[in-house]
Amino acid sequence: MAESFYKSLDIGKDVANTRTLLHEAIPLTGTIVSGTYADANIKNYAHGMFQSVYDYPYLSSSANHIFDITTGVSAESSLYASVTTAGQKSKKLNIYNQMAQVLVGYDHTGSIQRFDEDGDILAGGTKIDDVIFLNFSRLLTKDEIKKGTFQLTLGANATYATPMSKTFHITDASGSDGYLVNSPVGEYGILFASQGTGTPLHASGVNAACGLLFYQAGVCALTASIFNDNAAGGLLTTKCEMNSATEDIEAVLTGSNIDALGDAFRHRINNLQFNNTVELNSSVYFCRINHNEYNYSTNPTYLSGSKIRVKTQSSDLPVSYITTVGLYNDNNELLATAKLSEPLKKSSDTEFTIRVRLDY
Amino acid sequence: MSFYKFDEDDLFTNTIEAYPQYRFYTQSGSIYVNDMPHLTGENTDNNIGVPKGFISLYEYNIDRPAGNLIYPFIVKDGHRDTLKTVSKQAYNATLLFGETSTGSYSLSASISRDYYSTTTRTRINALRNTLNHYNYLSPHYQYSSSFGDKSSQTVNLISIPSILYGSKIKKGTISLKYYVTGTLVGELQDKNYNGELVQVGPEGSTGSGSVAGVCLYREGFIVLTGSWDLNTENIQTDAFGPSKWIHFNYGANDGNPPALTTLSASFAIDYQGTTHTQTMTMFATAPYGELNHSNNPTYLDSTETQGISTGSLQYMEQPRKIKNIVESQFLDVEPDFVKTTYISKVAIYDEDKNLIGIAKVATPVRKTEEKQYTFKLKLDI
Repeated sequence: MAESFYKSLDIGKDVANTRTLLHEAIPLTGTIVSGTYADANIKNYAHGMFQSVYDYPYLSSSANHIFDITTGVSAESSLYASVTTAGQKSKKLNIYNQMAQVLVGYDHTGSIQRFDEDGDILAGGTKIDDVIFLNFSRLLTKDEIKKGTFQLTLGANATYATPMSKTFHITDASGSDGYLVNSPVGEYGILFASQGTGTPLHASGVNAACGLLFYQAGVCALTASIFNDNAAGGLLTTKCEMNSATEDIEAVLTGSNIDALGDAFRHRINNLQFNNTVELNSSVYFCRINHNEYNYSTNPTYLSGSKIRVKTQSSDLPVSYITTVGLYNDNNELLATAKLSEPLKKSSDTEFTIRVRLDY
Repeated sequence: MSFYKFDEDDLFTNTIEAYPQYRFYTQSGSIYVNDMPHLTGENTDNNIGVPKGFISLYEYNIDRPAGNLIYPFIVKDGHRDTLKTVSKQAYNATLLFGETSTGSYSLSASISRDYYSTTTRTRINALRNTLNHYNYLSPHYQYSSSFGDKSSQTVNLISIPSILYGSKIKKGTISLKYYVTGTLVGELQDKNYNGELVQVGPEGSTGSGSVAGVCLYREGFIVLTGSWDLNTENIQTDAFGPSKWIHFNYGANDGNPPALTTLSASFAIDYQGTTHTQTMTMFATAPYGELNHSNNPTYLDSTETQGISTGSLQYMEQPRKIKNIVESQFLDVEPDFVKTTYISKVAIYDEDKNLIGIAKVATPVRKTEEKQYTFKLKLDI
């Protein structure tokens, strides 16, 4: 290797820091979460507090965790008193409180704040007390869910056996520019409902707020009333049968356990898609080579018979071939090397600026 | 919550060198990586979403149908960054600012084989300097020597991508086995730790003890030149005839469809790679007599309510009793109070007290004033 010739970088002029956003499109069809693998990709736990969804039967080492489904009921909910022991009353309350503590935080008295439909907590307004949570895997959300890209399509046909005959969409339509920041876990957007196929939404349910999406935390909090009819405070014209016993969402929330509600919810997932974001931080070092620099080499192969190998006549300009740029610290200790894809011919009549990018 | 500063004895970095074992088994043109069977999914021929015999880079698209794959994309902006698959010309001339360029996550890798019997041998020629460089290990490396001229002799080049070995193949771990109808007819090992692939088995076999090729440990190539007959049975490989090392791994991503008589041959490659992982180890000590109080609401006795005294000039909260959690065998005797906390996590902060990491213990650790613990935190960097 040729002997190094050190040249100092001017931090103000020669070094630039950049941040690039790389995204991934994450599509999840409903058949993955319900159907294709006959629930071999669904993991239920002995504690019964949430259900995990994988993209392949979870006993396979190839399977990736996609998201968890759970549900929480606030003590302030009108349904709370009706939740039975078999319906895991205390666990649903604990989950609501746990999620609310983390995602919404506390008020000035130290009390846990409830999920707010429009995110304006101080103004009061409608609270979301019966919540279906989707906790997405960090593998998929990476640094954050890209704002304005979330779309969940749910089957809304009243009959349990044919849920996808009618569908509606839930999107963070205002996410890209209308997100909120008053959460301990970062930014979040409001989820809105829109018609899909078969116009299942009641007129008052179109563009109605129906949940919150926490972008950095990767958590979607949906009001359970999305499956209810307008008369019962829901979004739909006709309420949905959530299980084969034709129970509605309120009956499932109060009388069935969390796993059963997870099954019921998955049965109505038609499609789920979002984009994620990864921040790539880079430092760019502009390594400037003047005309009178780096024209010689101390590489042993530079000389042949005590003559410069790449010169044929004594009057020829000195020439070298640059293959590598070394980055050194203040003590001239080598930190990193950047290699060129092919050697760069350098002579005294040329100048170069080599752009070295370091991603981290 | 208390802050403690790491001193120089609490913090050190080191490098873990690991030797992951790899095995490739080739039969009838099919490659099996680490003895993993090819699993057919509900939507795909190979459930990990890459061709059979290949590994998938991120294993993202597991059994996903076409059109429903996870893929990366990047928006063209002032940073002027894009994915490698987008050519410079397309990026500058076709792609507009604000438009996206997309990539693919069907990134795969596997071993491949190149058989050279003619003078056109680009990959071997490209390795000329590298082969000559390792001449100090063994003269068998030399591109042209009394052991053979690699520019003209028949050469079997097996290429191993670096994702399948790390920084280098560990010396002395390579084993190449050649089977015909399930019987081992030849085995090569780098038993001298110098890259020479010496035939070590079966005992007494033709060519036993001879060098059949060399291995480029850092570069991930196996160069086989052994052309002696390993047995007398004729099978169809590169040519119809007896088995030879130059025909080893026939059908392994070399574009050759297996013939009927090839079916009887199978090949195994075993080796260990070398990986280096930098780790930072931190010792976080919970000293005697410290960390014995908690601000958790459950730390206080819930049977007592918060007493408050107020006046025109004051608002005073009365002290509350800490819950005594010392266990007693007797119901009517309250045991002596001992300040007890349960440590459930250790948080790491930077010099500006920004939280940068949390280490959680599997079960909370009981801490009393007369106990001291040191938590060992290890972070791969």
